[in-house]
Amino acid sequence: MPSDAVKLVAALIIGILIGVVGGYGIAAMQKPAQPSTPTLPAGDVVPKAQYEELRNKYDQLLSEYNKLKEQLQQGKATEYTFYYVSHGGPADPWWAPVIKGAHDAGSALGVKVVYSGPEKFSIQKLVDLVNSAIAAHPDGLIVTITDYKALDEPLRRAIGMGIPVIAVNVPDPRPEKERIPYLSYVGQLEYDAGYQLAKYLVDTGYKPKRVVIAIHEVGHVGLEMRAKGITDAIHEAYPDVPVEKLDITTDETKAAEILKNYLTAHPETDAIFTLGPIGAHPALKVLDEMGLAGKVKLLTIDLDDVILQAIKDGKLLAAVSQQPYAQGYLPVVFMYLYVKYGVVPPKHVPTGPTIIDKDRLTTVQKQIQMTGGA
Amino acid sequence: MNPRYRRVLAELARHPEFGVLVSLAVLAAAFTLLAPDTFPRPVTLYSILTLASELGVATLGVAFLMISGEFDLSVGSVYALVPMFVALMADAGFDMTLAAILMLAVAFGIGIVNGLITVKAGIPSFITTLGMMMFLRGILLAITGGFPVRLEGSHWLVWVLNGPIGVQGLRTGAIWLVTLTAVFAFILDWTAYGNWTYAVGASAATARELGVPASRVKILNFGVSSFMAGLAGLMAFSRFQIVDPTMGMGLELETITAAVLGGCLLTGGYGSMVGSFLGAILIAMTRVGLVLAKAPAYWYRAFIGVILIIATVINMTLVKKFVTSG
Repeated sequence: MPSDAVKLVAALIIGILIGVVGGYGIAAMQKPAQPSTPTLPAGDVVPKAQYEELRNKYDQLLSEYNKLKEQLQQGKATEYTFYYVSHGGPADPWWAPVIKGAHDAGSALGVKVVYSGPEKFSIQKLVDLVNSAIAAHPDGLIVTITDYKALDEPLRRAIGMGIPVIAVNVPDPRPEKERIPYLSYVGQLEYDAGYQLAKYLVDTGYKPKRVVIAIHEVGHVGLEMRAKGITDAIHEAYPDVPVEKLDITTDETKAAEILKNYLTAHPETDAIFTLGPIGAHPALKVLDEMGLAGKVKLLTIDLDDVILQAIKDGKLLAAVSQQPYAQGYLPVVFMYLYVKYGVVPPKHVPTGPTIIDKDRLTTVQKQIQMTGGA
Repeated sequence: MNPRYRRVLAELARHPEFGVLVSLAVLAAAFTLLAPDTFPRPVTLYSILTLASELGVATLGVAFLMISGEFDLSVGSVYALVPMFVALMADAGFDMTLAAILMLAVAFGIGIVNGLITVKAGIPSFITTLGMMMFLRGILLAITGGFPVRLEGSHWLVWVLNGPIGVQGLRTGAIWLVTLTAVFAFILDWTAYGNWTYAVGASAATARELGVPASRVKILNFGVSSFMAGLAGLMAFSRFQIVDPTMGMGLELETITAAVLGGCLLTGGYGSMVGSFLGAILIAMTRVGLVLAKAPAYWYRAFIGVILIIATVINMTLVKKFVTSG
C-alpha cells in the first residue's frame, strides 16, 4: 500500500483543516466585541427593585449620551430614531429587501432607521441586539418576535420605559392577553398564507379530485399552520374532496420518490401543495419526469427563481409571497404615524399573502428588480 | 425437522445475507397483497432502486469499515460537503469533472484523517467521526449561511452519475449501486485485503500478530467509507442540481441501519456487501411500499421503526442459530 502517499494526503488535509479553523479563529478574534448591557447576577446579592431602578437610569443616561454623540457627529439632529432588530443578518439574501425597505421609508420620512441583525442565526445575539437597542432609548423599536420567551422580558421592559414596539415578520403566537403588548404586527400569518393559496385554486373554479399537501418538516408549527389553512379552504368549498398531508422529509430524493409513489397509488390526485421551495423543487422535478407538469396543479408558498421560472413555464400555478420590502417599509411608516401624530396602527397589518401567478409575473419581477427580492 | 433440510438451511443461513433476504421476501409479499395493482410493477422496482442508490452506495463504505471494526458518523456531512464544493467550484467556472475528482480526493483524505486520529490516538471512532461530522457541518453552514447552492447550467457528468434511462424511472444511479456492490463484494470475499478486513474487525491484536498491517487496513477503510459517502452525495446532487447545507443529516444512522439489516455485526468481523445492498433496498422498499399501500402519512416513521426492529430480530435469530452454534 502506498503509505507515503497516504501520509502526504493526510498531511495536506490536516493542513487545510488547520488553515480553515485558524482563519475562522483569527477572524472571530478581530471582530469587535458586541456592546452588551449588564445582566442580573446570580443569587439575590442585590435587591431586584434597586437593580431595576439603577438599570433604567443607566439606560436613559446611555441613550441621552448616544443621542448627543450622534448629533455631534452628524452636526444635525434627525427628527426621530427607530431601531429595527431582526433575526435576519445583513448577509441573508431574504432580508436584503427588508433592510432596503426600512431605510427607504426612513429617508422618505426624514427618520433615522438603525438596522441590526445577528450575522448568523442566534437567539442569544438577537436578544443582545434588542438590549443594545433599548439602551440607546430610540423613539421606536421594530422587532421580530422570533422567540417570544427570550424576548418577553426585554420588550416588556422597553414598553415600560415608554418605547413603542412594533412586531414584524414573526408575531408573538400566544393569545392576546398573554402576548407582549406591542402596538401592531406587520407581516404574514402562516394560516392565512395556506388559506389564501388554496382559496386561489378554489376561486379559479377548478374542483380537484384529490389534494395532497407535501409537508417537509412534520410537526413544525409554522408549516402545520400553513397546511391547516389549505385544508380548511378546500374543505369549506368542497367538503367531499379528500385532502391528505404527506410527510416528504427534507431529503430531495426521498421527497421525489414519495411524491411519485403517492401519485401512483392515488392517480386521481390533481392538486399538490408544497409549503416552501424545499418541497416545491422535488415536486417540480417529479411532475416533469412523469410528464404531468401543468396537468397536476402545483401551488407553493414563498418564491425563488426556480419557482418564478416554473410559473412562467406554466408548470406551477401560483405561489404565495409575503413581500419582504413591505415588511421593512410599513412598520417604519406606522411607527412614524404613531410617534408623530398619535395614529394607532391596527393590531395586524398584513404584507401578504399575495398570490403570484402568471398574470402577476411582470409585477413581481418589477418588485425584485426594484427591491432586490420578493 | 428432516436433518437433510436442516443441513441445507444451515448452509444457506451461514451467509449473512440470508436474514435480509427472508425479510425482503416477507415484506414484498405483504406489499403485493396490500397493493396488488401498484406494487408488483417495474416502475416500483425502479423507484426502490433510485431511493436505495445513494443510501446503498454510502452503506457499502460504512459496512466495509464496520466489518473492520470501526464506525463512521461523518458520512452524512461528507455527503453534503462534496457536492457543495463541486457546485461552488463549477459555478465559479471550474470544470465540473475536475472539481468532482478533487473533492472525492478530499473526501478520501477526510476519511484518512478520521482513521489516523482514531488509530494513532486510540480514540473510539464513534467520537472521532462524531466530531468530524459536527466540524464539517459547521463549515457547510458557515460558508453558505444556511442557503442552498444551485448548479448553473448542465454537464455530462450529471447524467453519468444519476441520469434517467428511459421514461420508466430507471436511473444510472441504480447501475452504480449494483456495480459497486459487485466490486466491493469481490474485494471483501475474494482478495487478501478483504480477508485482512475481516481479521482486523474480529480481533485487531490477533490480526497484527499474524502479520496483517491492522492500522493501515483500518485507516484505508476510513478513507473508503468517506469516499463512498462523497460519491453518494454527488449522485444525489446530480438529480436535483441543488445542494442544501442540511443535506444528508441522519444519513449516518440510516447507513448503519442498512448495514446491520444486511447482516453486519456492530462489533465488526462479520458482514456482507450483498447483504448491505439488500439492507438499503429493504429500507427503500418499506418507504415505497407504505406509500403504495396507502398507509396514513403521519404513521410512516412509526411503521418503518417497527419493520426495522422485526427485520433485525429475524436476522439476529438466524445468525445466532446457524452461525455461532454452527
